[in-house]
Order: sequence, then C-alpha cells, then structure tokens
Amino acid sequence: MWNIFVEYFPGWKTWCQALATMLVAIGAFLIQKHLFAWGKDISPGEQQSDNKLQQLTGNYDTDLQMIKQQLSKNSDVHFRDFRIIIGSSRATLVFVEGMQDEVLINRQVMQNLMDGNFQRSEGYVVQNHSEAFAAYVKEKLLPISKISEVADLYELEQSILFGFTALLIDGLPHVLLVGEPTPKVRAIEEPVSEGLLRGPRTGFTEVLGENTALLRQSGLASDLVLKMVEVGSRVKRNLVIAYMDGIVNPDLLKEVEDRIANINMDFIADTGYVEQFIEDNWLSPFQQVQNTERPDRVINSLLEGRIGILLDGTPFALIVPVTFSMLLQSPEDYYERWLPGTLLRMLRFFVAFLALMTPALYISFISFHPGLIPTELTITIIETRQGVPFPSLIEVLILEISIEILREAGIRLPKPIGPAMGIVGGLIIGDAAVQAGIVSPILVITVAVTAISSFAIPMYSAGITLRMLRFAGMLFAAVLGMYGTIMFFLLICCHLSKLKSFGVPYVSPVSPYRFNDWKDLVLRVPITLMKKRPIMMKTQNKRRKS
Amino acid sequence: MSRYPFKCASFLLLCSFVLSGCWSSKEIEEKSVYVGMAVDVAKKTETEKQLEAQDGITPVDSIITATIQIVPVKSVKGNQESGGGGGEKYLNDSETGNSIFEIMRKYALRRDRAVIGHHLKVFVISTDLAKQVEISTLLDFMLRDNDIRPSCMVFLSQNTAADTLESNQPDEIPAFHMRDMVLNKYRNNEIMKPVILTNLDQHLKSKRSFTLQNIAVFERETEFAGAGIIKGETGKWIGNLTQQDVSSISWIKGESEGGLLKSVNDHNKLITYEIKSSKSKVTPQVNGDQISFNVDIRSDGRLIESWDQEDEISKVYTQVNLEQDFEEELKRQLESLIKKMQQEYKVEVAGFGERLRISHPRVWNKVKREWDEVFSRAEVNFDIKLKITDYGSSTE
Amino acid sequence: MYTRSDDKISTTETSVFVTNSVLGAGILTMPRVVAAAAESPDLWLSVLIGGVVVILMAIVMAKLSQKFPGKTIFQYSRKIIGRPPAFVMCILLIVYFIMIAGFEVRVLAEVTMFFLLEGTPIWAILIPFIWLSCYLIFGGINAISRLFQLIFPICVLVLAVSYVLSIRIFDINNLRPFLGEGLFPVIKGMKSTVLVFAGFEVIMLLIAHMQHPEKAIKAVVAGISVPVILYFFTIVFVIGGMSTDAVLRSTWPTIDLLRSFEVSGLFFERLEFPFLVIWTLQMFCNFTCYYYGATIGISQLFNLKYRSVIFGVMPALYISAVIPHRINDVFEVGDLIGWSAAWLFFLIPLPLSIIWLIRRKGLKHNV
Repeated sequence: MWNIFVEYFPGWKTWCQALATMLVAIGAFLIQKHLFAWGKDISPGEQQSDNKLQQLTGNYDTDLQMIKQQLSKNSDVHFRDFRIIIGSSRATLVFVEGMQDEVLINRQVMQNLMDGNFQRSEGYVVQNHSEAFAAYVKEKLLPISKISEVADLYELEQSILFGFTALLIDGLPHVLLVGEPTPKVRAIEEPVSEGLLRGPRTGFTEVLGENTALLRQSGLASDLVLKMVEVGSRVKRNLVIAYMDGIVNPDLLKEVEDRIANINMDFIADTGYVEQFIEDNWLSPFQQVQNTERPDRVINSLLEGRIGILLDGTPFALIVPVTFSMLLQSPEDYYERWLPGTLLRMLRFFVAFLALMTPALYISFISFHPGLIPTELTITIIETRQGVPFPSLIEVLILEISIEILREAGIRLPKPIGPAMGIVGGLIIGDAAVQAGIVSPILVITVAVTAISSFAIPMYSAGITLRMLRFAGMLFAAVLGMYGTIMFFLLICCHLSKLKSFGVPYVSPVSPYRFNDWKDLVLRVPITLMKKRPIMMKTQNKRRKS
Repeated sequence: MSRYPFKCASFLLLCSFVLSGCWSSKEIEEKSVYVGMAVDVAKKTETEKQLEAQDGITPVDSIITATIQIVPVKSVKGNQESGGGGGEKYLNDSETGNSIFEIMRKYALRRDRAVIGHHLKVFVISTDLAKQVEISTLLDFMLRDNDIRPSCMVFLSQNTAADTLESNQPDEIPAFHMRDMVLNKYRNNEIMKPVILTNLDQHLKSKRSFTLQNIAVFERETEFAGAGIIKGETGKWIGNLTQQDVSSISWIKGESEGGLLKSVNDHNKLITYEIKSSKSKVTPQVNGDQISFNVDIRSDGRLIESWDQEDEISKVYTQVNLEQDFEEELKRQLESLIKKMQQEYKVEVAGFGERLRISHPRVWNKVKREWDEVFSRAEVNFDIKLKITDYGSSTE
Repeated sequence: MYTRSDDKISTTETSVFVTNSVLGAGILTMPRVVAAAAESPDLWLSVLIGGVVVILMAIVMAKLSQKFPGKTIFQYSRKIIGRPPAFVMCILLIVYFIMIAGFEVRVLAEVTMFFLLEGTPIWAILIPFIWLSCYLIFGGINAISRLFQLIFPICVLVLAVSYVLSIRIFDINNLRPFLGEGLFPVIKGMKSTVLVFAGFEVIMLLIAHMQHPEKAIKAVVAGISVPVILYFFTIVFVIGGMSTDAVLRSTWPTIDLLRSFEVSGLFFERLEFPFLVIWTLQMFCNFTCYYYGATIGISQLFNLKYRSVIFGVMPALYISAVIPHRINDVFEVGDLIGWSAAWLFFLIPLPLSIIWLIRRKGLKHNV
C-alpha cells in the first residue's frame, strides 16, 4: 500500500510545473489588472480656470480696447467701425475672415443700422435708457433670426474666433453676436467606406447641424431627442447624444451620459477619441462601439433602443451598445428580401471564420497533421512544396505581411493607381514568389482567400480586428498545431463571453438563448415576422408593430 | 493607430519563443507518404545482403519482407528531373525483418524522410506468408498504430505480393488502382465487399473463418481472382475460392449489386442474364442437433445476351423457360460452393453462422466454437426464383 | 436594472451547464466499457435504462437543492446535519471534483498526444488548457454559461453529422438479435452505463444560481436527457458500424468508427478531424464545470475570496492530471470515478434529503 503511494507520488519536477502554472497565471492576472487600471485613468476634468473671467464693462471704448488687446495678434480678425442711425452712435463689427455670411452682414446688419427704417421719435426716446435701447435695437432694428448676447470677455473672444460676428454699439450694455458661422462644407454624398447597392445614398458631413438635420429628416418623430453637450477642455466641441425617448432604457442613457461627462482631453478630434474614452475594455481587440457614416444605420439602431453619438467636425457617428453580430450586418440585408438577406448573412459569418482561421489551419495541416487532408491533396502539396526553404510559419508570415503592406500602400496611393496596384501587386507578387521558390502555390491561394474574406466584412473596424487576430492564430498553430488552433478559438470565445458593451454581453444574440433575437442573427426572417424589438436591449416599448 | 505598437512588440517576443521549439512540427514535404504495403515471405534483396555483410549492421532473422509504395516521387520541382522513360509516379521500397514495426523503423536507416502511414490505402498479404504466419500477428501493428487508419483495405495475393504494387500504365499508382477497382462491385459480383481493418478486428476476435479478396498478377497486370480463405481457429490461409465461388457467396449473402449469370438454353446456345437486383433470405432450422438452412434467392434481371437467333425472346413462355435454365445453372454453382466449403475445406464463409446467431442465439452459443465442423454436417436447401423483367432494346 | 451584476442564470443555461458536466471523456470510451460489462448487442437498452436511473438521481438532488433557494450544497449541508459532518461531506465532494477534472484533462491529453501531436510533452498540452479555463472562470458563472451556450450547438451538430455519415458502414445485423439472451445482459450492462454519467453532482451547487428555481426539475431533466440521447446514438452507431467484437478490441472505439471510412468529395474527407475538434471544445466545457465546482466549494467552505481560490486550485488540478503513469492507470481512475459517483450519491444527497424530510416531519409533528 505504502509502495503504491510512493510510486505514484509526483516527483519534484511535477511540483515545479504545478507551481509554475499557478505563478505564471497569477503574474498575468496582476499585470492585466494594473494595465487596466493605468489605462482607464478616470479623473473628471477640472474646468479650465478662467483667470480671464473679466466682464465687459458696458463702456464702448474700454470694451473695444480690451477686445483689441486680446485679438490683435491674429491678422485675420477685422474691425469695421461705423455709425448707426440712432443718434449717430458708434458701432463696431468684429469678425474673422472667411466665416461670416456677407449678405447677412451687409444688408441686414449694416444697412439696417446705418440707414434703417425706424421711427425717429421712438429712437430719440429710448436713446438714453440703455436697457430700452438694447431692446429696441434687438427687437426692431435687426431682422436676423439668430442673435445672442455675451457678457464676459473670454466667451466673446472664443465666439469671435469660432466665427461669430460681434457687434458693439455704444450705449448697449452687452455685446451682440449676430449670425452664425458658416464654414465651408461639402455636399452630401454616399460614404466611401460604406457603399451599398440598394439604399439611400446619403452620408453624414462634418457639420453637426447638417447631421442632426439629416436625422430629423428621416421622418416625423416626436420621440427623437437630441441632447447637446460640450466636450474637450481647451478646444470645445459640440457633441450630440441621440435617442428615442419612449424606447431607450433609461439606465443605459444615464450610463452613456456619465461616461461622456468623464471625458478628459484637451481636444476631441474625432469620434474615435470619444470611442476610446467610453469603451468598457480598452485591452480587448474587439470594438465595443460601432461607428458609421450612414444616417439610416443610426436611425435603425435608435429604433432598436440603442444610443447614437454625433460630434461636430467629423462625419462618423457612434452607436452604443454593440454586439458581435452587428459587426457582420449591413443595412442592405434589410432592404433586400429575406432570402438574399439570409444567404448573404450566412456568407458573412462563413467569411469571418475564414478570415480568422484559414492561415492557422494551413499551418497546422502542413506542419503537424498531414494525415487529416485528403490523400490526393497531400500528394499535390508535397509535389509543389519541394524546394521551399522555409517552414510554413515563416512562409505564411512573409506573404501575409506583404499583403498588409500592399493594403496600407493602397490606401495612400492616388485614385487612378490604387486599384490597379492592388490587382497587380496581388497577382504578380504572388506569382513571382512562387516562381522564385519562396512560397508554395497552395499558400498563395490560402492567403488570397483570407485577404478577400476580410474585405467582405461590412464594417471596416471589424475587419481590422480579424486581421490582427489572424496573426495570433498563426502563432498558436505554429506551436501546437491543431490543438493550438482549437485553443486559440476557445480563447477568443472565452474573451467574447466575458466582454460586455455597456452592460450588454458581447455575444448577445447567440447566448443567452433568446429565440426572438435569433430572428435577426444568421437568418433574417421576413419583415412581417419581426414584431418585437431586441430583447437584449431591455427597451421600454417592446413591440415594433402597433 | 495607437493599438498596433503594443501588439507588435508582444508578437515579436512570441516569435522568438516559437522559433525555439515546437515539438511535433515537421513540414509535410519532409515526410514520405506511403499508400500501399505488401508483405511476403522473407527474401533479401542483393542490396540488403551486401549492406549486411559490411560491419556494423546487425543481421536479423527474417520472416517477412515488407514493400511500401511511396508517393510522390518528384524530388525537385520542375519537369526536368522526373525519372526517365515514362516517369513512374511511385517508388517501391523493400525491407526485411521479423517485426513489421521494426521494418518501418529500419527505413529510417536508409531514407532521409520519415515514412508516415496516414494515407495507407491497401495492404496486400501473400498467400505463402499467410500459410505460415497467423494473420493476427501480421495485422497487429496495423491495428495498434495511431497513423494507420482502420479504413485500409486488406487483400491476399497468390503470387509475390510486392508485384501487385507494380503497374505498367504510366501515371497510375497501383495502390489507388486497387482501391478504385473495388468500386466496380456494382458491375460484377465476383468482387467482394472490401474488407477493412475494422472488419478484420471483428473476425479475429470472434475466431471465425472468413475470406479476403485475392489478387493475381502477371507482368504488372493485376486482376481480382476470387478469394482466399482464412481459417478461424488457426488464423492461417488454407486455400482459394474461384471467382465463381465468390459470386456464389454474394448470391447467398444477398450482396450482388450487379453482375451476370451465364447459362445455356434448351438448344445449347449461350444465354446471359444481367442482375438488376437480388435478395436472399437464409432461414436456419434447428431440430435437436440437426441444423439445416433454407436459402431463398429472389432476383430481377434482364436477358442481355442470347446466342440463339431462332428463339422468340419477346414471348413470355420463352422467358419462363430461360428463367428455369438460369435457375438451374445458379443452383449448380451454389451447390458446388457448398460442397467445397463442407467437404474440401471444411469452413463456413458464406454468412450462415451470422444468420444462426441472429435467429437462434442460444444454439449459436453452444456451437460457435466448432462452427466449421458443425456446418460441414448441416443441410442446405436452395429455393431460387429469377425473373426476367425485360429483354433490352432488341426483341429478337 | 440594465447591467446584470447578480450571478443568476436562466433555465436554459442551467440545462446546458448540466449537459456539459456529463458529456466528457465518456463518449470515447463508453462503448468499450459497456461492452466489456456485458457482451451483447443490446447495450443501447442498458444506456437508456441507465439514463433513466440517472435522471431520477438528479431529480433527488434538484429537489433537495430547491428547498434552500440561493444556497449551494456547501452552505445548506451544515444546516441539515451540523458543521463537522457537513465539512467532511463537502471535502469529499471537492476532492471528487478535482479528481474528475484531472481525469478529463488527462484523457484529452492522451488522445491529443496519440492522434494529433506526437512528441509534444504532456505539460505543453495541460498547462495552456488549465490557464484558459482559469481565464474563463474569472468571468463568473454568467461568462461560463454564455460560452457553453456558444459551443453546445456546434458540438451537437457536428456529432450528429458525423454519425449520420457513418451510416455507410452501418450494419443492422451487428445490433441483432434483439434481446437474444434475455434481459440479463442488459442488467449487467447497466452497472457500467450508470457510472458513465458521473459528474452531474454540480446540480447541487447550480440550482442556487438559477433565476427561477421552481423550474429546476425541468431544467435538470432536460439537461441530463441530452447526454442520454447522445450516448444512446453513440452506442448504436459505434456498435452498428463496428460490431461488439471490434469494439472490445479498440481502445477508443468512437474515433475508430470515424476513421473506418472516408467521405470522398467533402473537404474533410477524414471525419475524425472535426470530431476531435468538437470533442476538445466539449472537454474544455466539461473541465470548466468541475474547476468551477471545486472553486466555489473551497471558497464557500473556507470563506476565502473567489479569485484567490481560482489560482490555488490550479496546482491541485495539474497534479491530479499527471498522477496516473500509464494508460491503464487512467482507465482505472475512470472506473474509480464511476464508483465514487455512485457512493457519493448514497452518501450525500440521499441521506441529506432523508434527514431533512425527517426533521421537517418531526417539526410538524411537534407543532
């Protein structure tokens, strides 16, 4: 009995391995915890302390002096002095070149003030009471729809530099901002990165006002709420949170607003910055926020109970929360009938799998398991791989990295050359490599299939994720063959199971099993059967149909 | 943008780990795939004798010479270097020893690429060897190895088994040729259902006699020539059945998917019957110690050839006459088979034991140890009904 | 509440969890083990009857757990029989879980090393597996059940397709005669079929996590029926395709069945490849069940933090996996586990239920 115990008692090597297992795991966990905390440095930004919190005095000369002091460094700020007709009071227009509406300034402001239609009697009466005078100017003399008053210098300076036109009139207690900045814009056209065959050919532009207008123009909707906040500490920009009032879950809305309020950065250049600040897990290769240029995608998502985020200065809008299946969906699925929609969906899932796993499978079959491929194929592969000097991992890396270089280059090339370069590059480089004996023909096919698969994914950001993960898969396969590939697949599944996007599990439609949500997952059931909104969004209003 | 540097750094680190050692990784072109194997009685080649005579190589007692067929042969890419004269696509290599695994590993002493058996399709045993050595010992390695799949087919060869792995057709690989020939079973019922290693496992465990397809070779031409009988008790080969006997066995087992029956009509002219479908029902009957079998065979077919020009084939009474001729011929063949099994070889390989096992399990349990003996005393009655359903496109 | 932070799982998730705890290494060795107990082609009947017995045992466990909503066995056992005996019981259960986990992962390593990766040292297979499981368990029971739900349909689908394609070598005569020797071999076979279903003790700690504990019985019955049906089909197709004799001579009968034929035309001509893939995925799920069970047990028994226990159990699992030296030892451990399952049932849920019933009746009597 004792002998058996002694015989089976593990040796010191086994104890070491067991302990190593535990220690490495603990180490990895601690590293990840610290990385995570370090990256998610949440300290709400302090308001920029305004030591320039100077109030305007109301005295025309001192105010003008102050403004000139602040702004004279800029050569594109112009000062236009004139006199208004009421008692020939002095007035000055301050504006930045290129941003004001000439017609508005000339006709509606200056012409009216200099030579306007007004009752002389009233004018003389109010001249000496500054409040009444201000009201008279605003209400009777300036036929402009957008007017606001500014009391402090800092705000005035910012507004002028942003493009507003300021009007100082001797006798008015505040400075008036007349008109809105009208920056140069481009026409509304279909987004380049999300083209469809069938569907509206509109895309967002860089002007927030136009984007919100596009959303409102989708249809009459009293539920659609657009809430504006400012982000950025040094250079402030406007950000709009869009949602449907009766549908969205209020907790989700609060969560989104809180996270946006916690953004602490001096300048938010693009919604990409917003995305990186508000996402749940910055270490994950999967995006937890979806970005799009299409208004119809945003509206559809809003009706499902999601929240849209638009930022001034960028055409890309964000949609939260997002789940894995959304990254493989395209609005075209809904515009076509259900049969093509379903088949295309299934194709995309297959394509995503191919884009991720094909190189790893290639490496495991070639280097580890020749017994798992059909015999005739094995013989062909052996014949064609004679003379290839590299092991399969290196071979695959060479070609894959070449394709990535080609892809990046293709984005930067001028339009006429770009597509040609892609085709030329692909075919010729692949062929030349085979002729030179560096790679085998089977590999060229594999890599070509993988590259094309990653292009077939509707969301560009999702395509990037799969491209990155492909390399990790190759490494796993190179060490442990098919077992390594399976471990890699499991690792991704585990990661996806743990990932949450604003409280919604990332693998949501698939698991937990909610049969109603499956109507929109791989199959796209006929529109007439899609009666309810997705259960995973926990919306207030459950039914789509009345 | 800012996501890449982190991943790149860790990726490069991992690269170094990977290149330092992956244990089972061996590129596919560095292995030799063998698709066919043949075992014969030991006969050393000249090369082997010379190599053994030199110092350092341990001479081994030999029982078996194993030949493996390696594909593909092209060693360098490009057409200039393939072997001259027609360019055979395979290479046969022989070794001698007394353990199959030892022989496999001996290849490592001479070849630079390891031989792997994942794609082994065909295993041929020569009857000379099967006469001396038990089949279970020959197959033991095949059943245990993790590479070799149990779907490999086993054949016997009445000549040197290594010759079956030769071919006189350019671009043909003999192992694939044999494997594909088996698919012709639907054309000719003289081809047996292929016996794979799994079936052999079953036969060897139950110690029952069985048959293996026999291959005859002459000048690099191979042909399926009947079957060899392996006796259950000893596990050794005891004799051959002719092609006609194999056909009879498939009639009895009801496995004929197609084939022919040749006979002569009343005017002694040749007539041929094409089998379209056949069914057989074997009913055992036990009376105390006496076991008897009733075999009912039903078949539909076509009169496909008649060398009698005067016969009026399109008339039903002619067809009925011809049916009788065929039935007599078939009965004759079947009875010849039974006689061979019961008297000449004293084995039972036509599936009667199976039917007894299913219908009378308790009786079977009693007699299964000496089933070959018991069967040689059993009575077999045939009841055959053929129907000529049509006579093709020619009414004459 | 939008973000779910409680550890509750739905009824379907419970069923899938239970299924995954039972489906494991058994699917490979079960035909041979059962055929060795009773050499008869009627073993499929033993499997079905054994399954029914197991379902009854599971219902006992489920009913017991339902009486203590929100508490796992480690917590309510002390209420029933007092602290020290409950402590011993729970320790037994935890050791049992660790033993099964080690056995399952060892079988996985053996099969992988035999069919897929020759030459790889065993620790290279075991350690990444354990790490991956640890990573998953960190997410709590919700993450675990989400993964199970992802993998479960894939496994069942591929298994079904593989079996259907094996019809080409299926011979109904291998399964006849039906009840040729009476019911006795069937009863003899039941001895091993019941043991094959070992592992469903996780029910006792699962019901505490259910959102709707009143549906526990339904969930448990559904959860165990699925492996019963799958094992039934396994036995039918394996014995039908290979016959009892060949099964007895084969170490891993199910894989041998799939290697006995090739489907020309499909890309995967060799069907053992998808089978081994899904079997590995399934073993991962199985192993995770027991890892989770042991972790919960230790953390509730000794009042330790869940996260620390996850790391602490790792060396125990590794040692448990490498203790057997040869393949015979591995199979003996398998048998031992089967017997332990039977003993544990009579040692833990059954007595606990009886004692609880007596105490309740006793109370009512007094009142």
